[in-house]
Amino acid sequence: MPDEPLLRLDGVDAFYGKSHALRGVSLEVHAGEIVALLGLNGAGKTTTLRTIMGLLPPRAGTIRLRGRRIDGMPAHRVARLGVGYVPEGRRMFANLTAGENLELAERPGGEWSIQRVFERFPKLRELRGRKAGKLSGGEQEMLAIGRALVGSPALLLIDEPSQGLGPIIVTDVYRTLAELRAGGVAILLVEQNALLALRVAERAYVLDDGRVVYAGAGADLARDRARIGTLMGLPSDELPVS
Amino acid sequence: MIERLAPEVVNGIVLGSFYAIVAIGLSLIMNLTGTINLAHGSFMTLAGYLAFAIMSRGGSFWVALGGAALLTMVVGVAVERLFIARLYKRIPLYSLLLTFGLSLIAEESFRLIWGPSSVPFAVPTNLQGSTALGNIVLPTYRLVIMGALVIVITALLLFLYRTRLGLRLRGAVQDPDMMAALGTNTRVLYTVNFAVGVLLAAIAGIFAAGLLGLQPTMGNSLLMPAFITVVIGGMGSLIGSIVGGLLIGLTVSITTLYLPAASEIVMYVLMAVVLLVRPRGLFGEAGIFG
Repeated sequence: MPDEPLLRLDGVDAFYGKSHALRGVSLEVHAGEIVALLGLNGAGKTTTLRTIMGLLPPRAGTIRLRGRRIDGMPAHRVARLGVGYVPEGRRMFANLTAGENLELAERPGGEWSIQRVFERFPKLRELRGRKAGKLSGGEQEMLAIGRALVGSPALLLIDEPSQGLGPIIVTDVYRTLAELRAGGVAILLVEQNALLALRVAERAYVLDDGRVVYAGAGADLARDRARIGTLMGLPSDELPVS
Repeated sequence: MIERLAPEVVNGIVLGSFYAIVAIGLSLIMNLTGTINLAHGSFMTLAGYLAFAIMSRGGSFWVALGGAALLTMVVGVAVERLFIARLYKRIPLYSLLLTFGLSLIAEESFRLIWGPSSVPFAVPTNLQGSTALGNIVLPTYRLVIMGALVIVITALLLFLYRTRLGLRLRGAVQDPDMMAALGTNTRVLYTVNFAVGVLLAAIAGIFAAGLLGLQPTMGNSLLMPAFITVVIGGMGSLIGSIVGGLLIGLTVSITTLYLPAASEIVMYVLMAVVLLVRPRGLFGEAGIFG
C-alpha cells in the first residue's frame, strides 16, 4: 500500500447551520479501491461526500487529495483536481438532453471523452437526444456516472447508486463500478444497503451520528452480520437480504 | 384604415421589442442568481449617455453603439463583482435594496453630469425620415430598431443554445451546485450572465435614446413595463418575455390610437387579466432555457 492515500480525511467536523453533522471523521481511500461508507439515514454519509466535494466547507480537520489540502477549496477546483461526484437522486439537468448533460461536464483532453463514455454505455449514445428528465432511473444513474467520468476523475464519490432501481439494474450498476475500479478509478461508495456495497468494497467505514464507528476490511464486516446489525442499529434478521 | 393602423402596429412592435429585450436581461439575472435588478434601467440610461458622449466627440452612431455597449458592460461587470456578488447567498431582498440604491445614485449622477433635461441625441440622417413599403409609410429609424433587436435576440439564442458557455448557463440555472461539482466555476458564470443581461439593456438603451429622447430617467421609465413583461410572459421564460413584450407594446400603441386616455393604464389591466387566468404568466411553466 502506498504511503500517501489518494484521499485522506483527518478529524473532519462539519455543520449544517447549528447541527453538528460530522464529528471528527477520519478515513482514507487508496488508488484503485472501492471503499464503502455505510450507516443509517442521517448518519452523515451524504454530508461526508458533500464536504469532500467542497459543497460544504468543513469547520475543522483536513482533507487531502494525493497529499494536497483540498478542504476549503471551492467545488469546481476539487472537481478539476480529479474528484467526480454522482450525487444522491442523481441530480440530472432534467431540461437538458442526455448528450448536453455530458457536454457540460466534459474536460477536453482528459482520459474520458464523451465518445469513450458512449463506448462504455452504448445505451447513452442512443439516448443522447432525449431530455435527461425523461430517462428511467437506471438510465439516469448511468448518465450520472458517465457525467462524472467525462471529468476524468481519479476518485468517484457515489451516493446511493441503488436507490429506486430494480435488482437487475442494480446488478448492472455494481458491475460497472467494479469495472471502473479495474480501470484504475477509486470509488468512495455510500450505500444504505450494506450487504450490497460490501460485495464490491475492499474496505468499509460505518458512520453513526456523524462519527466513524467502524473501519475495517469489507469482507470481515460482510461475514459478521450481527456486527453490521449492531453498528447500523438494526437487528440482524432485519437486514436487507442481498 | 390600414394606413393609420400600420404605423401604430410598427410602433407597438418596436416598443414591445424594447420591453422584451429589457425583460430578457432581467429574467436572465433573476433566474440564475435570484437578483431582482432594479438598476437595470440605469444601465440603459448610462449606455445612452456614453453613446451621446462618443458621438459628441465625433464618433459615428455605429461606433457609439458598439463602444457605449461594451463600456456599459464593463461597468456592469464591475458592479456585479464589487457589490451584487456579495449578496448572492442572502435572500433577494438584499440585492433588491442594493440595486434600488444604485439606481438612485446613477440617476442623480446623470443629472449632475448631463443635466436634468433631455440632451440632443441625434440619430444619423440616413436613419431618419421614412421608408415606404407599398402605400404604407413607416419611420426608417423604427424599422432599423426592429431589425437590430431581432438580430440581438437571435444572437442571444445562438449564444445560449449553440455555445459551451451557453450550455453551462442553462445547466447552472437548474442546479448551480451540481455545475460546480462538475468543474465549472459558477462565480464566473454569474458574472458572464450579468454581463449579457447588461449588454442587452445597453443596446436597448442606446436605440431608445434616439427614439424617446435621452434624460436621466429614460431607462427607469422602460423598467416598469419590462417587469410587467416578465410577469405576463412568465417568470423565467425567454419566449414568454418576447411574446409578453410584443403583447404589451401592441396593446399600448393600439389603445393610444383608439382610446388615448387609457393608454397608460392598459398594460396593468393586461397584467391583471393574465394573472387571473394564468397566475404563472403565459409561459410560466417552462424554465427559461427549457
